[in-house]
Amino acid sequence: MRLSAFLLTKVGDLTKKVSNLPEKYITDTVEKVYYRTPRAIQYLDRTIKRKNFRFTTNRPWSGPAEFQNSPHKYRKKVFVEPLKDWNFFKGDRVQLLVGRDKGKQGIITQVIQERNWVIVEGLNTHLRRIGKDKDFPGSTVQSEAPLLVTTDIRLVDPSDLDACDVEWRYKPDGQRVRVSCRTGRIIPIPHKSEETVDYKRPTLYKAKQKDTPANVVKEVTFLPELKTFEMDLMDKMGIKEDRTRKPIFWY
Amino acid sequence: MFVIVFSRGTANGAKMASLAKVVNISRAINNVSQLFTNLTISPSIKCTSVLVSQLRVPRYGCAYVHTTPRRRALMEFFDDAKNWGEFDIKVGRAWRKDELRIKSNEDLHKLWFVLLKERNMLLTMEHAAKKDLEIFPNPERKYKVEESMSNLETVVRERNKAYHLLETGEDGERPGKLVHNQLGMMYYYRMCEHTIPKFMNNKWRQKYKFGYSGNAVHKFRKLYREKLWNEKRKARNRDRNHVMHLMKRFPNLDLEAVKEQYPDVDIENLKSQKKARGHFVPQ
Repeated sequence: MRLSAFLLTKVGDLTKKVSNLPEKYITDTVEKVYYRTPRAIQYLDRTIKRKNFRFTTNRPWSGPAEFQNSPHKYRKKVFVEPLKDWNFFKGDRVQLLVGRDKGKQGIITQVIQERNWVIVEGLNTHLRRIGKDKDFPGSTVQSEAPLLVTTDIRLVDPSDLDACDVEWRYKPDGQRVRVSCRTGRIIPIPHKSEETVDYKRPTLYKAKQKDTPANVVKEVTFLPELKTFEMDLMDKMGIKEDRTRKPIFWY
Repeated sequence: MFVIVFSRGTANGAKMASLAKVVNISRAINNVSQLFTNLTISPSIKCTSVLVSQLRVPRYGCAYVHTTPRRRALMEFFDDAKNWGEFDIKVGRAWRKDELRIKSNEDLHKLWFVLLKERNMLLTMEHAAKKDLEIFPNPERKYKVEESMSNLETVVRERNKAYHLLETGEDGERPGKLVHNQLGMMYYYRMCEHTIPKFMNNKWRQKYKFGYSGNAVHKFRKLYREKLWNEKRKARNRDRNHVMHLMKRFPNLDLEAVKEQYPDVDIENLKSQKKARGHFVPQ
C-alpha cells in the first residue's frame, strides 16, 4: 500500500463527518507536503511530505495537532486494533470497565476513531494545571482522558440501564440497527451524533450569505437534448458558426 | 439537504443572467480609470473603492430597486470589506454531482463563472494574508470551490460523452495511449491536434520518440524493476510484521477485521510464528 493511501485510510469516517470539511482538505493537512519539485523537464517527479502522522485527542486539522506532528519529532509507533464495526457514537451512554470511575456511566462527548478512543463526559479524569507562571500558581482543571472502546467501556442498554454487548442487525425494512445481545432491544443512534462543528442538526443549519438556498438547488432545469454542452450554449446565446473545419490529425 | 456553498445568485435566473452578459466595456474602462486616478490621490485602496461605488449609486427620492449585482471593478478580486480581519468565515458545503446533473447547461455555465470568481477572490485574499503575515480564515473554502468546479466539469464531460457516444460511437474525449519513453519507462501520452500528418511533422517526430532499445536501456530497466520490486517487497513485509505485532498485543483480535484491512497477509501462516505469540494464554 502506498504511504499516501495508508494515511488516507486511517482518517476515520466519523472524524470526517464531524468536521464538516472537504475530504481533500483533511488529507492534505494530514499528509503535509513540505516540498514538491516543479513540473518542468529538468526535475524528476518528487515530493517531500510528512511520513507518519500520530493521531491524538486533537483533531488532525487543528493547530495543536500540527504542533504535535511538527518535523523531526519522533514518537513511537502506535498499534491500533482493527475493528469490523464501529459501535460507539457521540451521545451514547456507556459504562466504564476500568480506572477510578469503574462501573460509572457517562455520555460520550467525542469519538476519536483513528485510535479506537472515546471521551466520556466527566469520567476518567485527571487534574491539569493551566497557566502556571513565576508569580501565578496556575489554575487546576479536570480533563478527561480517552478510553479504549475495545476493553475500557461497554454500551448501556436503554431498557434496563445496564451494560450490554451489541451487534448489528437488520430491521424488516432493511434498516441497520444496533441491538443489545442481552435483551434484544434496539439501541438507537443518538441525534447528537449528527452534530458537527457547524450545526447541531442538519435541519438547524442557517444559510450563510453565499449559500444557495435549498429550493434553488433542488430545482430541475435540465432538459435533455441531442446537443453537446457547447452546441447548446451557442444556440442559447445566438452564436452561429458556418465555417467548416479543415482536416486535422490526432497523434 | 440544507445549503450549498458559494453562489450568491447562483441558479437565480435574473441575477445570474447578468453574470453572463457582455461587460459594458466603456463603463468598465471608465471605472478602472477612475480607480487609478483616485489611487494616485488617496493612499488607501479601501477608501477609493467605496468612493467609486458610491458615485454610481443613483440618489432618487423613491426606493431604488437594484436587480443586478454591484460591479466593484478591481475590488471584486477582494472579499467583502466586512469580512476583513475576521477569524471565522463560515460557508456551506460544495456542490455535489447529483445536484449539478439536474441543472441546465446555461446554469452550469453561469455557475462556473461564479465559482471561478470566488476562487480568484479566495486566492487573492490568501496571498494578501500571506503577505501581511496574517492567518487566512477558513482555508477549506478554497477546497470547497475546487471540488464544486471539478464536479461541474465532470458533469459537463458526462453530457458531452453521452452525445458523442450516441452520434459517433466514440466518447469524444482527448485521446491518449500508454507508451514507453527511450528509457523504457511507461507513461500515458495525451495526443494533440495537428494540422499536418505525422510523417510530415519533423519537429514532432524529433521531440517524441517512443520505444526503447539497446543493452544499456535493458540493464537500466532491470535495475529499475528491481527497485520497484524491493519497494513492494518491503511494503509486504511491513504489513506482515504489523499484523504479527497486532496478534501479539491484542488477545481478542478480530482476525476477520484484520483480513479485511490487510488482504495480502496470510494470517493462518502467521499464527505459528514466534513473533505473533502474545504474553497471554492462547485460545
